Amino acid sequence: MQKFLEEGRVLEQQEVARQTHRLRLEAPRMAGAARAGQFFMLQVREGMDPLLRRPFSFHRILPEEGIVEVLYRVVGKGTWWLSRCAPGTPLSLLGPLGNGFELPPIAAGPVVVVAGGIGIAPLQELIQQLLAKGGVGRPADIHLFYGARTGAEQLPENLLEDLGISVYRSTDDGSLGYGGFVTDLLRRVVQEKNLQPSQLYACGPLAMQYHVARWALEHKVPSQLSLESLMACGIGACLGCALPAAQADASSQDHYLHVCKDGPIFGAESIQWHKIQTHGAPPTIFLYS
Amino acid sequence: MAQNPDARGASHDLSVQLGPLRLKNPVMVASGTFGYGEEYADFLDLTALGAVVVKGISLAPRPGNPPPRLVETPAGMINAIGLENVGVDAFLQSKLPYLRDRQVPVIVNIFGNLLEEYAELAARLEGVPGIVALEINISCPNVKSGGMIFGTEPSMAARVVEAVRRATTLPLITKLTPNVTHIGEIAKAAVGAGSDMLSCINTVAAMAVDIFSRRPKLANVFGGLSGPAIKPIALRCTYEVLQAVDCPVIGIGGIANATDALEFLLLGARAVQVGTANFVHPAVTREIIEGMRRFLEVERLGGVEEYIGSLNRECLFPFAEIACEMTDLP
Ligand SMILES: Cc1cc2nc3c(=O)[nH]c(=O)nc-3n(C[C@H](O)[C@H](O)[C@H](O)COP(=O)(O)OP(=O)(O)OC[C@H]3O[C@@H](n4cnc5c(N)ncnc54)[C@H](O)[C@@H]3O)c2cc1C
Ligand SMILES: Cc1cc2nc3c(=O)[nH]c(=O)nc-3n(C[C@H](O)[C@H](O)[C@H](O)COP(=O)(O)O)c2cc1C
Ligand code: FES
Repeated sequence: MQKFLEEGRVLEQQEVARQTHRLRLEAPRMAGAARAGQFFMLQVREGMDPLLRRPFSFHRILPEEGIVEVLYRVVGKGTWWLSRCAPGTPLSLLGPLGNGFELPPIAAGPVVVVAGGIGIAPLQELIQQLLAKGGVGRPADIHLFYGARTGAEQLPENLLEDLGISVYRSTDDGSLGYGGFVTDLLRRVVQEKNLQPSQLYACGPLAMQYHVARWALEHKVPSQLSLESLMACGIGACLGCALPAAQADASSQDHYLHVCKDGPIFGAESIQWHKIQTHGAPPTIFLYS
Repeated sequence: MAQNPDARGASHDLSVQLGPLRLKNPVMVASGTFGYGEEYADFLDLTALGAVVVKGISLAPRPGNPPPRLVETPAGMINAIGLENVGVDAFLQSKLPYLRDRQVPVIVNIFGNLLEEYAELAARLEGVPGIVALEINISCPNVKSGGMIFGTEPSMAARVVEAVRRATTLPLITKLTPNVTHIGEIAKAAVGAGSDMLSCINTVAAMAVDIFSRRPKLANVFGGLSGPAIKPIALRCTYEVLQAVDCPVIGIGGIANATDALEFLLLGARAVQVGTANFVHPAVTREIIEGMRRFLEVERLGGVEEYIGSLNRECLFPFAEIACEMTDLP
């Protein structure tokens, strides 16, 4: 599992949903080495501001074409600069990093995939892998629960429903699919259809992940959650990307997991959820010009 | 000087004498930015470095601060890692052997909350093969005197250095914090107490807030600023320290390329440490070393020692000199 630097090149960028861009990068070595659920650190711009690389999941990994795709939301300075990169722009990639998803064993049964907003990014490649080689009987046994604030932020049907998988959409404002939280939709559908998932995969905002984790623990479904943290290095050197680890017992001292080397994929049981602190979700608007 | 292409390596010599240490070149990596070395092995040949300063070690393992621990700022970052580390036992057992087996000179950065902890740590590291020096991080709160930072008061800094000095024969580097009024005073106190060398600077005390959530961006509220943003502060500190004491000094702060590194050497620093830049470009130190070699070639210098401390204190060219040059123009 060697990590490396690769000079990639922007092939094209497209705004595929509101504030959501799909970036195709020519990076043959990365495309040959990466696995679903892993991530890489992208230098969005030469120079000192922004200074640090930004972590992104692999949205699609296309080894034959030598291409990796990123699906990202513009939330701040780095992603704003990234959105302005024209085809041909060279960008430095550092990766592949982290553990990645584990695919279920052959014929393990239906799987549940929960995506919140931009959290769909790594799950798209996961779904492709499940379809290609995972232990899922029929495409329809992949149950994707996909929530967002509003319909305009969701990926279109041709990228998801057309794969033959079961898709359940929800929006906070009710503009598309079920009106409410994706985790409520998950509870309902699983009960109605009496689904017995063999595995749960999820990526999305922290609040969603928390509810997904609780659900998975309650229902004793093995889970693989893709979690985030602010990162400086991505390779285990700065120790900045800490998340509170579950305690062996109540008396034991706090200790931390590191998203870049222990994750970014974690089981719901390994995190001490109530100890997580953030300074808030990314803002819905940002002041930058 | 005669240009002998075959003797390129020898005629552009990067090796430096740093107190009792002979280094292959003046480029080291800074504590806390390079893990325990192994993290970077995929990206560069660790043996090419002058030395590796490992993440700060304490007697017992420390979990570190709750997250968020990091925030990026213009040309820099603020961290409040809280000195998370595996503790000295695990360091000696599972971290040090990797670097020792590869013959990379290791400098161990040590810290404690009590004088006795510093001393005990130093004693534990005495005589351990592979360790070439200790770097004393005095930017820690002294729990006995109400959490005051050891490194902000000359007499307290001196007591830490004395305690470590008594406990070990290893060469000692004291790492100075810039968050003081007179860094030269702390430098004098450390050298007076037996520090063989000094390194400066540690991170600059800083803070960031979020206008939407109306909260500090770090769980710890305060953190330490590092990266290119602090280089001018680091240069000023290095200059003041060099004026205050007569011992080898290692320059640290915002170094991201060979030019930055050479600026510290020009002042008189005998080596440099590269920190935050490793996060952006894991192989940046290799580029810095190569860049230095090219600089020596272009400047026709036999070795980097010739360049160290060659700063001309007069800030600008005297006008007469420029005028003379102008009259030579056709
Ligand atoms: C392993 C991993 C994989 C990721 N994959 C993707 C992906 O596929 N697509 C995508 O759009 N984003 C992804 N992210 C998040 C992405 O890295 C951040 O959105 C990005 O760094 C923001 O940079 P910026 O300069 O635009 O924002 P900044 O100006 O740095 O920050 C703007 C806002 O975004 C928030 N923010 C910054 N970094 C993060 C972060 N790491 N996680 C959550 N919020 C953050 C800040 O708190 C702030 O409110 C991933 C993060 C991690 C850790
Ligand atoms: C994430 C991080 C962790 C650090 N940890 C330590 C440490 O454990 N001990 C120490 O003496 N300095 C530590 N430092 C300070 C650096 O060694 C260095 O002095 C400082 O970052 C300035 O250099 P730079 O601008 O090149 O990063 C740390 C810095 C960073 C960014
Ligand atoms: S991002 Fe630096 S240790 Fe994880």
